[in-house]
Amino acid sequence: MGVRSAGVRPSFPRAAATVVIAGLLLPVVLAPGALSANERGDGSGQEGEATLRVGIQQEFDSLNPFLGFSRAATEVFRLIYPTLTTYSSEDFSVVPELATDWESSRDKLTWTFHIREGVKWSDGEPVTAHDVAYTFDRMMTDSAAATANGNYVDNFAEVSAPDDGRVVIRTETPQATMRSLAVPIVPEHVWSEVDDVAGFANRRMPIVGSGPFEVTDYRPQQSLTLEANEDFWRGAPTVDRLRFVNFENSDAAVQALRKGEIDVARKLTPAQFDALKGAENIERVKGKGRRFYELVLNPGAANSAGDPIGTGHPALRDVRVRKALDRAIDRSELVDRVLGGHGTVGAGYLPPIFRKYHWSPPDDERRSFSLEAADRALDEAGYPRGPDGIRRGPSGRPLDFEFVLHGDSSTDALVGKFVKEWLSGIGVEVSLQPVSDNQVNQRTTAGDFDMVISGWSVNPDPDYVLRLQTCGARPNPGGGGLPDSFLCDERYDELYARQLAEFDRDARVELVKRAQGRFHEMATGLILFYPNALEAYRSDRFAGFERQPAERGVITAQQGYWGYYRAEPTERARTAGGGAGYRSAAFVIVGVVLLGALVVFSASAHRRRTAEHRE
Amino acid sequence: MTTNPPSGNVRSRRLAALADSWRVYRAERGGVLGLAVLVCAVLLAVLAPVLTDSAELDVTGVDASALRPPGAQHWLGTDESGRSVLLLTWWGARMSLLVGAAAAVLSMVIGTVVGLTAAHFGGWVETVLLRLTDFFLVLPALVLAIALSTVLSRGLFTIVLAIGVTSWPQTARLVRAQTLTVETRPYVERARALGGGHGHVLVKHVLPSVLPLVFATTTLTVASAIIAESTLSFLGLGDPSRISWGAMLKSAMDTGAVTAGAWWYLLPPGIGIAVVVLAFTLCGRALETVLNPRLRGGAE
Repeated sequence: MGVRSAGVRPSFPRAAATVVIAGLLLPVVLAPGALSANERGDGSGQEGEATLRVGIQQEFDSLNPFLGFSRAATEVFRLIYPTLTTYSSEDFSVVPELATDWESSRDKLTWTFHIREGVKWSDGEPVTAHDVAYTFDRMMTDSAAATANGNYVDNFAEVSAPDDGRVVIRTETPQATMRSLAVPIVPEHVWSEVDDVAGFANRRMPIVGSGPFEVTDYRPQQSLTLEANEDFWRGAPTVDRLRFVNFENSDAAVQALRKGEIDVARKLTPAQFDALKGAENIERVKGKGRRFYELVLNPGAANSAGDPIGTGHPALRDVRVRKALDRAIDRSELVDRVLGGHGTVGAGYLPPIFRKYHWSPPDDERRSFSLEAADRALDEAGYPRGPDGIRRGPSGRPLDFEFVLHGDSSTDALVGKFVKEWLSGIGVEVSLQPVSDNQVNQRTTAGDFDMVISGWSVNPDPDYVLRLQTCGARPNPGGGGLPDSFLCDERYDELYARQLAEFDRDARVELVKRAQGRFHEMATGLILFYPNALEAYRSDRFAGFERQPAERGVITAQQGYWGYYRAEPTERARTAGGGAGYRSAAFVIVGVVLLGALVVFSASAHRRRTAEHRE
Repeated sequence: MTTNPPSGNVRSRRLAALADSWRVYRAERGGVLGLAVLVCAVLLAVLAPVLTDSAELDVTGVDASALRPPGAQHWLGTDESGRSVLLLTWWGARMSLLVGAAAAVLSMVIGTVVGLTAAHFGGWVETVLLRLTDFFLVLPALVLAIALSTVLSRGLFTIVLAIGVTSWPQTARLVRAQTLTVETRPYVERARALGGGHGHVLVKHVLPSVLPLVFATTTLTVASAIIAESTLSFLGLGDPSRISWGAMLKSAMDTGAVTAGAWWYLLPPGIGIAVVVLAFTLCGRALETVLNPRLRGGAE
C-alpha cells in the first residue's frame, strides 16, 4: 500500500490549491449571476406601457399609514393617499391638494378647509370631508393611530365635518403648522371596519386610496408595485407603472442600474457617484440635501417625568466640555474626506436648502476648529490630564466616551475614525460602537450613549424637527417618545412655543433662528454637515424628472409625489423591455458550467484517490 | 546520581524523535512551503510597528485622495479615506493572525480538557460532556458566533471568545477517540497498577501522546478561525477600532468600491486571507502525515 499511495500524497496541496483558486474565482463568476437574481418580476409589463423602477435599500416598515414612518413607507403614502395640502416642487411653498382653499378665524383657533369636489377613492366611493374628519378623529381617540403622525393632532380640540365639502378643526392654542398637515387621509368606509389599528398591516390588494398611484402588489423584501391612477384629479401620471425594488446594499442597486434592471438608484455613496461619471446612458443627480447629520452629546438624559435615565457620562453634562469637543472637530475636513465634497459644512440646525430658516452662527459665536483652543478650554474647565494622558473629571472618572454608530453606514464609520483621532489629541478617549440601526434607536431613546450619530430629514415646515429638542420630546417613563439630543432647556422651549403660535412669517423665521441659536449655544447636538442627496437614473429610458426644489433639487424622496408623477419616459421605455440582460444570463451559464466542471474534476480526483487507498 | 543519565537519555531520545519528525515533515513539499509562508507572514506582522509608521493609519494624518489606484507612491492604492491599502493589509495581518491563533488556542484548550475528561472518566461524566459536545456540534457555529458577538460588547476578546467557544467540539471528539486508544495501552495500565492517580495518568502518560495530534488539529483550526474572524468582521461584528482583513472588505463593500472598480481595495485582504489559510492548511496536513505513518509515502 505504501508504495502505491506514493503518487497520492502530492494531490493534497493540489486539491487545496484547486479549492483556493475556485474560491477566488467564485465571486467573479457569481457576482453577475447573483445580481441578475435581483431582476424581480418582468422588465416592463406590456408593450407600450412605461414602468419606472426605483431601487431602494430600506424596508417598508408598514403599509399602514397610521404606523409607518420609515422614509420608504411615507414616500408610498404620499403616492396613494391624499393630504389636505402639499408642497410645490418649485420652492416648497404650500399648495392646495385635497383642500382647495382654507381660512382661519380671527383668533387662529378655528380652521375651515374646503374639500375638492369630484375626487374618488379607487373603489369608486367619493372622497368627502367626512373621511378627513374621520382620519383626524381616529388619531385623536386611538393612541395606536397616533404612532406616525401624532404630533399634528396633539393640539387639536375638535374636528368635525358639517357637510361633505367642509372640515372644521379647532385647536387648543394657535398652531402655525395648520397649513402643512402632512397626514395621509384614509377612506372611512374601509378603515371604520378596522378595530385594531396597531395590528392591521393594510395588505389587502389593491389598497383603496386616492393618489396618483395605487398599490397593487407587495412582496416583502422584494418589491412594491403601483399602477397609475388614470382618474387622478390632477390628471393621469406620465408612467403607467411604478415599482420599488429592494436591494440589500447600494452596490447591488448601482450594478442593477448599470445593467438597466432599474431606472433610478438613490442614496449613492460618494465613491459610487463619482464612479458613475461618464457612464453610458446614466445621468447623475446631485441634489441639495434636506438632511442634517448630527453628533449628539448626551447632556444627561431624563424622561418626561424628569428622572435621569441611561448611562451618559457625567462630564458631558458640563456645557464647557461639550463646547470644547465641538472645537476639536474639523467640519470642512469631514465634508472633503468623508463626503468627497458632496455636502455642505454644518452650521445651524436647519439645512441651507431652506434658505429662509437656515441659520449660521455669527463670527463671535462660531466654534471654529482648533485643537489647541479645545485643549486649553478643557484645562480651564478643570479636567486635567492623568498620567496616561487621558483627562479626568472632578470625580476622578476618566473622559472615555462611548460613541454609538450605525454599523452599516460607511459615513458613520469614517466620521467615527476622524472624531476618535481628533479627540484623542485633546486627551479624550473614544470607543467606537457600531451597532444595528434598531439598536441605535433603542440606545438613543434610552439615553444609553455618550455620543451618538443622529440625523433627520427636515420638512419645509421646521416644526417637526424643532420639537425633537424640546422637553416634550423626552421619552415617557413607560416607553415611547422620540427624543433626539435630550436638550430640555427652558429658553429653547419658550422660543419653540412662540414660533409655533406665530403666524407672521418673518416674525416666525426670526424666532426659529433664535431657537437654533440657543440650540447651538447649548451644544448638545453638533451639526456636522448637510450631505447632498446623490441619485442616478437611466437617461435612455427617462428624459428627466421633476425636481424639488427646481434648483438643484432631488427626484426621489420628495415632499410630494412630483418626481414620480411627472417622470418623462422616452420612446425606448415604452417599447423596449427593461434590458433584462442576456449578458447576465450568459454569465450565469458560464459560471454554472465552470462550477460543474470543478465539481466533476474534484470528485473524480477524490474517487481516484480513495480507489487507490482501497487497494 | 542515577537520575541524570536516564533524563539525558530521555532528552536525546526526544531530540532524535524530533529530528526524525522534522525529516519526515521536510519531505512534504507543501508543508515546507506553508511553513515558509507562515514564518514570513508572522515576521512581517510582528515587525509591522518597526518597519512602518503607524501614524499613516491615522485618518486625520494622511492627505492622499480617496480610492486612488496603485501607483509609485501607494503601491496598492488607497482606501476611502486616503490611507495606503498596502499598509492596511500589512497591519490587518496582525489582527487576523492574532485572533486566529488566540481563538484556536482557546478552542484547543476547551476541546482537549473536555475530550480527555470524557474519555478518561467515562460513565455519566462522559455522557454529559458528549451530549454537550453534540449540542455545540450541531449548532451552526457561525450563527452562534454572530449571536455571541451581538450580545457581548464589541472587542478583541469578544471575537476570540465567540470563535473559540464555537469551534472546540471537533477537537473534543478527536481527543476523546485518541485518549480511548491510548488508555488501553499496557504502559498506562501499568502506571495505574503502580498506583498512579487520575492526575498522574492523564498528565504524564495520556496527554503527551495526545498532544501531537492536538497540535495538528489546532493548526487546521487556526485556518478556520481566521476565516471566521474575517466573516464576523465583514458582517460588522468585529472590533471596530482595529484593522483586520475582514473589516477592510466590509469598508470596501460599504463605500461602494465594487462600483468604483477599486479592485486594489478588495483583492489584497482577500488574497491575504486565502494565502494564510492555505499555509495553515498545508502545515496542518503535513503535521498529520508526520504523526500518522499510514499517510506517509514510501518511507516505511
